[in-house]
Amino acid sequence: MQLLQKFKRGSSKKAKPKGHANYAYTTARVRAMKSKILPKETYPRLMNMSINEITRFIGESEYKEDVDELARQYDGVNLIEHALNRNLAVTFTKLLSISEGDVNFLIGEELKKFDIWNIKTILRGKYCNATNEEVLDALVAAGRLSYTFLSDLATKTTYEEVISGLENTEYYPVLKDYDGTNLSDIENQLDKMYYAGLFEAVSGSRSKDRKLFAKFMRMGIDVKNLITLFRLKKANIDNPGMMNLMIDGGLKLKLKDIERLISLSFEDFISELENYPYWDVISDVASPDMVSLINVESRLKKYRLKSAASFSHVYPISIVPIMDYMLNKENEVNNLRLIIRGKAASLSDEIIKEQLVI
Amino acid sequence: MGAKDVKPTRSELIEIKKKIKLSQSGHKLLKMKRDGLILEFFEILNKAKDVRTELDAAYEDASLKIGIANAVDGTITVKSTAFALQCKPEIELESCNIMGVVVPKIESSSVKKCIDERGYGIIGTSSYTDEAADAYEDLVEKIILAAEIETTIKKLLDDIEKTKRRVNALEFKVIPELQESMTFIRLRLEEMERENTFRLKRIKG
Repeated sequence: MQLLQKFKRGSSKKAKPKGHANYAYTTARVRAMKSKILPKETYPRLMNMSINEITRFIGESEYKEDVDELARQYDGVNLIEHALNRNLAVTFTKLLSISEGDVNFLIGEELKKFDIWNIKTILRGKYCNATNEEVLDALVAAGRLSYTFLSDLATKTTYEEVISGLENTEYYPVLKDYDGTNLSDIENQLDKMYYAGLFEAVSGSRSKDRKLFAKFMRMGIDVKNLITLFRLKKANIDNPGMMNLMIDGGLKLKLKDIERLISLSFEDFISELENYPYWDVISDVASPDMVSLINVESRLKKYRLKSAASFSHVYPISIVPIMDYMLNKENEVNNLRLIIRGKAASLSDEIIKEQLVI
Repeated sequence: MGAKDVKPTRSELIEIKKKIKLSQSGHKLLKMKRDGLILEFFEILNKAKDVRTELDAAYEDASLKIGIANAVDGTITVKSTAFALQCKPEIELESCNIMGVVVPKIESSSVKKCIDERGYGIIGTSSYTDEAADAYEDLVEKIILAAEIETTIKKLLDDIEKTKRRVNALEFKVIPELQESMTFIRLRLEEMERENTFRLKRIKG
């Protein structure tokens, strides 16, 4: 992860589009990077390999450098997982470094989820008195905040110091309300802030490519809200305050729809969902007596990723192919981790295949 | 103490008779206690078998769920989410009495939590993590229950063994020896009485 330090990124306040957007250059670079994405035929082959064979395959692929770099610190499946995360972080920070202007701003907005994730990890670490090593192990510096900056934060002794270290960032207005006890509220606010920022970034433009991207992003909000609704309903939480957990800006599920759905019982909620387009995706795994939500969540996520693939070639010199690459890269890392971790945990091939997005 | 080592006196005979009576009533009580403990043991044994089966099933489920969460979300995510939990389960140890055997009674709190009480934000986490946490909460509850029942079984078994040894000692060693001593004293006293009668007759003659 230390190698990430070469990417000098600031910890400044909210980035605004600066300079001329280099779409042509960035998309050309992205196209070259996309050619290195593992083809979908690889996954069935990997499914038939043993853990050692998969480790060797990954060690000889695009991830070789990351595996070699981390081999001193980790071994076995942990080495592969950290190498995958390191590669993801290096790839995404490379995108930030090669892009300029508007395109850089949009990529940065998308990658904020990693910054938020890292801030949450550091705060959680301080909350439960985790060691610095444990916190540093759980960081994936794939956003605008550099690994050096994040590791400095992680070594602070109290959460107050962590928050004052983030004083110059856009996250501070949310973080300043943290009093050491309301961690889940702060986490939820940070996540909402991410979606709100992304929504704001893509909804202003009138260009067709941006509209397409906005549609995809809003579908992501729908999927997130739907999963949150399922989780709340399954846990029998019908507290009206739970509306605060819902993200505004969904494509098919508006806040007023969600407000209605949240007040229903689980059985009614399921039958009401039949009126929404997402029902076709989950109809065979969602029922009032369902025990697990795992299949619902994986179906919805798959649906979102597959819909992104359908329009990735529509506007070749726009944000769309860049986001498509980012999704594909993240998906590749997730799939490889899923296969190797699944095999290490002796999960059946059916379970692994059900979760794979190919 | 051998039967021949006792003093053949009337007071000793009375003392031994008292001891025999006490030993016999003790033997009867201990036998009842042993039988009662065995009954309790078999009752709890069935419960223990069920709890053990449930524990094995809960462990398997928890391993599966954490395996899926680690595979789909990544161990880094699971680890980071686990940091958010500070309210650890509390266990209170009390004791209760089963026929004189002190067995533990384990009361637990804050094991099972709702998703909004686990400390992590709901928007940024997934149902994979929820289900892994649920499965582990179930497992911890089952472990606490199994610990209570299996410790009770162990203590009951120890006590049954101890009681059985006592019953056997009273039945085959203490009471027969006392009875032997009593017979010896009685015979000795009769003999002494005959000797006395004979002596008196000789003096008269």
